[in-house]
Amino acid sequence: MKETLVACDVLVIGGGLAGCFAAVKAREQGLDVILVDKGYVSRSGETPYAGDTAVFDPAWGHDLGQWLTQVSAVGEYVNNRHWNELVFRDSRERFADLRSWGVRFLEKDGEPVRLAHPLKNTSLPDRDKFPPLVSEVVHWLPGFPEIIRKHVLKSGVRIVDRFMVTELLCQEGRAVGAAGFAIEGNKPSVIQAKATVVSAGGGGFRPIGYPTHELTADGHAMAYRAGAVITSKEFVAPHSTSPDHPAWPPMYLFFSSGGSAALPGFWEDPKLFNALGEEVPARGMAWHGWLDAEYEAHEGRAPLVRDLGRRGRQPVSGPGAHGSMLGHATGGIRPVDDDCATHVPGLFAAGDSCGTCFIGASYSGFGFATMHAAATGARAGMGAGREAARAAAGRGGSGRSRAAAADSGAAMLDNRLVADAVGRALAPLERKGGFSPRWVTQVLQNTLAPYFVLYMKRGDRLQTALDTVEYLRDHIVPKLYARDDHELRLAHETRNMVTNAEMKLRASLFRTESRGTHYREDHPGRNDEEWLAWVRLKDDDGAMVAFKEPIPAAWHPDPAKTYEERYPMRLPGEPTGADRSQGDRRVPQPGEGG
Amino acid sequence: MPIESIDPVMCNGCGICVRNCPMDVIRMDRTIRKAQILYPEDCMLCGQCLECPEKAIYLRPGFLQPTLLGWG
Repeated sequence: MKETLVACDVLVIGGGLAGCFAAVKAREQGLDVILVDKGYVSRSGETPYAGDTAVFDPAWGHDLGQWLTQVSAVGEYVNNRHWNELVFRDSRERFADLRSWGVRFLEKDGEPVRLAHPLKNTSLPDRDKFPPLVSEVVHWLPGFPEIIRKHVLKSGVRIVDRFMVTELLCQEGRAVGAAGFAIEGNKPSVIQAKATVVSAGGGGFRPIGYPTHELTADGHAMAYRAGAVITSKEFVAPHSTSPDHPAWPPMYLFFSSGGSAALPGFWEDPKLFNALGEEVPARGMAWHGWLDAEYEAHEGRAPLVRDLGRRGRQPVSGPGAHGSMLGHATGGIRPVDDDCATHVPGLFAAGDSCGTCFIGASYSGFGFATMHAAATGARAGMGAGREAARAAAGRGGSGRSRAAAADSGAAMLDNRLVADAVGRALAPLERKGGFSPRWVTQVLQNTLAPYFVLYMKRGDRLQTALDTVEYLRDHIVPKLYARDDHELRLAHETRNMVTNAEMKLRASLFRTESRGTHYREDHPGRNDEEWLAWVRLKDDDGAMVAFKEPIPAAWHPDPAKTYEERYPMRLPGEPTGADRSQGDRRVPQPGEGG
Repeated sequence: MPIESIDPVMCNGCGICVRNCPMDVIRMDRTIRKAQILYPEDCMLCGQCLECPEKAIYLRPGFLQPTLLGWG
């Protein structure tokens, strides 16, 4: 099938909140912008299920130091405080942007209603050991997706819905666009761009219980293959699930009818009980709590029940039920500057695709993912716009007119590059037999979903899972086949999930300590001497390698404080008090003796 | 079963459910101009198809859990 060639100044891949911001900000510079999504722009990724966004505004009495302290204490000092400050400071303008686009917020007497962090006033047992949760959110009213889509269209961005991007095109060391196909009918296209933004969300493994099945780490995987550095994949997003009816009622109904978990009265001090009827001490703040459910299950004290006060008691599964929903605002493609540029010239990252390490090891704030998506989206869009203008100037083009962009674009791409990319995009459809994407996905889920792989981790179990994932990568993925146009998308998503699994397992193996949502039974305590560092991943001649990058000393926890003061959340088996003088109490691996 | 049915009499062929579905579960039959459930096993129960103006779509709790076979 002959491909279509389209050219533009800036290509944005992924049409959630971050992608919409990126496209609009690039377009505001007078550039020709294409925004593609494998679904429908504005209803992409997690955007339809968001109801609020955090806004930092000194005029509202917010103190930057307190906000940073909240993130560092809960995120356990692997948050990037530079990015925290950038995103916090941007948030007021992004909020103003959304209002100017026509998004309606909950207001009282003409002023936006500010809602406190829902866990601020709960009676969680360790609450007083943490600094106060000071962040606040504003809550938008129903109709959000349509309003932002309308604004994107009004601004003159060209939208391409239901188009699956399969790979980034790189020529002479630069990202020059992307290849993919229209989902219905599988017609291939190549979109050439002077700068490209990846805003294709985070990545999970089609978790039963959460509507994140289209978030298959497409952005992370494509950027990794193009040479970008990936960061912080060892942290997980623990969410609970109903074992009776996961995902029921549909989450979108709650948000599209004006609901928000930040609204007063929604959060009722949930209490968790184990199978013996004992209350489980939901340790820590924010989303740490659900890891406690997993610790109980590990000890043989599941099933668990939660008591939601007036909303009754119901059975609950811990996060292992779904094998990592996705990752919000921490892991992803590492940005190298404040414009969200990446290690690949011409490539930018935004939203959950952008690994700013914003929240660190654990999610501390309501509305932080949308705040981060809007801020990084706008920055990536502006940065990509400037990059496109520079690239056009370098070739003597104006970079301003659609015709000029198309002319310079069509002439420049290497034919072989295009033909190879299109061939790879359609390859699963060409195969007469092989392995179905659904089967491979199921094998992957069976490998990763058990709670003892990505939640209660241990070196030997991570290695066992990695062996399976490597086998899938080397022997099964190359034989994925698609019986129709729908399955071609599934085949590429499955391949990306396998890459994402390898990233999560390698990063988890590499971090030989516990921190936030990364818990290692064989290294059950934090190890500040060695691990105030980020885990990065990159391709090294076909092999995925992990390496460490230190966190600036100015951001470390106060060494004068005791371990327990630095880390108020207790982990099972961690050395505390006098035991800590023995150092990190490492559990020997099978076969190591001792 | 997650998405169970689209009432062919009530469906007015507007296409809102097709465009809203992030998983490509629903396609439009262009001959009869009715939305059809083609890939129910990929429904993730997000509920965005329930914006159907004719209320023609019915979802129910639960997922299709395929049996894991030896291979593909």
